Amino acid sequence: MASIQLKHITKRYPGTTVPAVEDLNLSIEDKEFIILVGPSGCGKSTVLRMIAGLEEITDGEIFIGDRLINEVAPKDRDIAMVFQNYALYPHMTVYKNMAFSLKLRKTPKKEIDEKVRAAAKILDIESLLDRKPRALSGGQRQRVALGRAMVRNPSVFLLDEPLSNLDAKLRTSMRAEITRLHERLGTTFVYVTHDQTEAMTMGDRIAVIKDGVIQQIDTPQNLYDHPQNLFVGGFIGSPQMNLIDATVEKAADGYCAAFGETKIGIPEQVMSAAVCADYEGKPVVLGIRPEFISETGSHSEEHNLMTGDVDLAESMGAEKFVYFACEGCPCIAKVPGSSPIQSGESVSFAVDCTMIHAFDKETGLTISK
Amino acid sequence: MKTKPLKKREKEPFFERHLGPILITPSTLVIFGILFIPIFYALYMSLNRISFRGADTIYKFAGLQNFINLFTTDPWFKSSFLVTLLFVMLTVATEIVIGVAASLVLNKKFHGRGFVRGLMILPWAMPTVVNAVMWKWIFNAEYGAANGLLLKLGLIKTSIAWLGTPRMAFFCVFLANVWKETPYVILLAIAALSTIPEDLYEAASIDGAGGWKAFWRITLPMIKPVLLILLITKTIWAFQTFDLVAIMTSGGPQNATNLLSYYIHFVAFKQTDFGSAAAMSYVLSMICFALSFVYIKVFMNKDENDEKKIKKHLKKKLAGAHEG
Repeated sequence: MASIQLKHITKRYPGTTVPAVEDLNLSIEDKEFIILVGPSGCGKSTVLRMIAGLEEITDGEIFIGDRLINEVAPKDRDIAMVFQNYALYPHMTVYKNMAFSLKLRKTPKKEIDEKVRAAAKILDIESLLDRKPRALSGGQRQRVALGRAMVRNPSVFLLDEPLSNLDAKLRTSMRAEITRLHERLGTTFVYVTHDQTEAMTMGDRIAVIKDGVIQQIDTPQNLYDHPQNLFVGGFIGSPQMNLIDATVEKAADGYCAAFGETKIGIPEQVMSAAVCADYEGKPVVLGIRPEFISETGSHSEEHNLMTGDVDLAESMGAEKFVYFACEGCPCIAKVPGSSPIQSGESVSFAVDCTMIHAFDKETGLTISK
Repeated sequence: MKTKPLKKREKEPFFERHLGPILITPSTLVIFGILFIPIFYALYMSLNRISFRGADTIYKFAGLQNFINLFTTDPWFKSSFLVTLLFVMLTVATEIVIGVAASLVLNKKFHGRGFVRGLMILPWAMPTVVNAVMWKWIFNAEYGAANGLLLKLGLIKTSIAWLGTPRMAFFCVFLANVWKETPYVILLAIAALSTIPEDLYEAASIDGAGGWKAFWRITLPMIKPVLLILLITKTIWAFQTFDLVAIMTSGGPQNATNLLSYYIHFVAFKQTDFGSAAAMSYVLSMICFALSFVYIKVFMNKDENDEKKIKKHLKKKLAGAHEG
C-alpha cells in the first residue's frame, strides 16, 4: 500500500501559454480516499492522468511510496485506473477483460481464475463473466471496470469521473458501493469528479482545484464550514452559497454587513472586532448558505432580515428552494417543504448570522474565522 | 374487432397497398437483366459445345464435358489457375499488411496528415487502364523509368527486360496491382482505426499492453470485421484482375502472368471457344464464392460462439428463475 506525493507539479500542453496544472503540491496518505474536485477544465483529470503515467509531467516530481515514478511506465506504477467511459475491451468477455492484465503478467491460469472470481463475487458480477461489454448495462460495465482494477491488487486506485455516465439513482447507489469498496480493500483511492455531492459524500479529504491550482484541501466538513476563499465557498454546498457584495459598517452593538437597506449583523464568533474594524467601510463579499436563511419567526431579530420578491419556489418534497431577489441580488433560501411560500410573494427571511462567511472583495480570501 | 383494420386496409387504393413491390420492380428487373440472365445463359453455354458457321451459332449439348476438359485436355488452364492462385495470395496478403501498417502511421497525428492521406488515395482513384499503361511505360525495357533510374543510380549496368522474363513480369504485375489496390485497404483501415477509443489504449497501457501487445490484443481484434470485409473483397477482385495483364503483358511471357480472367477472355474471344470460357467462368465464380464462405465462417465463428454461450446462459438463468 502506498502514499502519493506530488511535488511542484506543473503541466503545460504544447502550444498553450497557460499551464493546465501549476506548481501543485499534494500529499495523499496511505489508504486515504482523496477526491479531486473542480469545474470542468480545471486540471483535475490531468493530475490523475499524470499519477497514472498517461500524461507526461512538465515539471515536478511524483512519488508513490518512496519511489519517484516520473519516468516509470504506467504498468509498472502499481496503480489501476477506472475510466469515465469504462474503457472495457469490447472484443473480450467480462472474464477476459478482468483477466487481461494478469495474463500479460504471465500469472498462472489458476491464480488468474481465483482472483477474477473473487473480484466478481465482491462486485456481484459472477453471472456476467461470459458476456461481452456491449451486452451489459451502464452500472454493470462500471462494476466490471472496478473489477478489472481490483484483480491486480494495486496499491493505488485512480478513478476518473467513474459515475458521470450513470443515471442519478444508480449514481447514488454506486457512490455508496465505491465507498464500501474502499473500506474493504484498504487501498489508496484518488477520485476525480466535478460533482460536489460525490466529493462531499465519498472522500476522506477533498482537494478543490481551479485553473490548475489547489484552492483548499480539507475534510468535507471543514470545507463546508470553513471555506478558505470565494471559489471554495461557492463550489461546495448545494444549492450554492449566496454571495452578496456588502460593506462592513459599525452598528449599535458591534459591526454589520450592509447592502442596500439590508443589514446583517456580524457576531464576534464570525469576525473579531479587530478584523471588522480593519474592514470598516470597505467592500466585502458576504457568504450565506441557503440552509441558514429561513422563514421569519425562528430568528426574528430585526436587523438580520432579508426581504425580497420570490421569483420561484422549487419544491423538493422534504424541502423547498426559494429563489428571491434581495436588494437586486439573486438569492436562494432552503426552507421546509411544508412552507407556504409561493412565487410572486414578497417575503422576509431571517438569516442565522452566526453561520455567515465573509470574504475579501479583492483577494477573494476568507476574513471570517 | 380484430378484423376491422384489415377491412380498412382492403379499401386502400391498389397503388398504396402494393407500394413496396411497385417501387422495387424496376430495379429488380434491371438486376435480373444484367445479372441473372447472363449467369443462367453462361450456365447454358458452359454445358454446350459452341461453334460458328457463317452468321449462325450452333449449340451442341455436351454435358459436363467442358468442365472435364479444363482439367484434362486444356493445355493452359492448370498453369493459369496456379498463377492466379499465387497472384491472389501474394497481392491480398501484401496489400493488407502494407495497408494496415500504413494506416497505423496515418492514424497518428502529424503535420500535413490530411494532405498525405489525400495523396495516398490517388493510385486507387486512378482508372486501372491508366495505371496499367503507366506501369507498362515504367517497366519498358528501352525507355522505361525503372531502368533509367536504376542506371543513373548505378545500381544496374545494363537495362533489364522487366516484362520480358516470366518471374520479373509476374513481379511487375504484382507490384502494379499492389500499388493500385493498397490505398483502398488504407482507407478502410483508417476508418476502422479511428473508431477505436483512445482510452482503450490508455487502459491497456496500465494493464501492461503497450506497442506490439496493444496492436495484437486491441487494435487487430477491433479492426477484424473490416479486415474480413477487405479480405473477401480483395480476394474476389484479385481473382478478377484483367486489365493489368491485358495491357502490361498480355498474359506472357510463357504464360507467367496468364491470370484466369485474362485466359477466359482469350479462350472466348481469341479461340472463340465460348463453351470452355463459360465453364471456366463458373469455376472462377465458385472459387470466389467458396472463399467468401470460408472467410466468413472462420472469422465470425468465434463471436457467434460467444453469443450462443450467452444465450444458453441466459436461458439457464431464466429457467432457474422460473423454478425458483
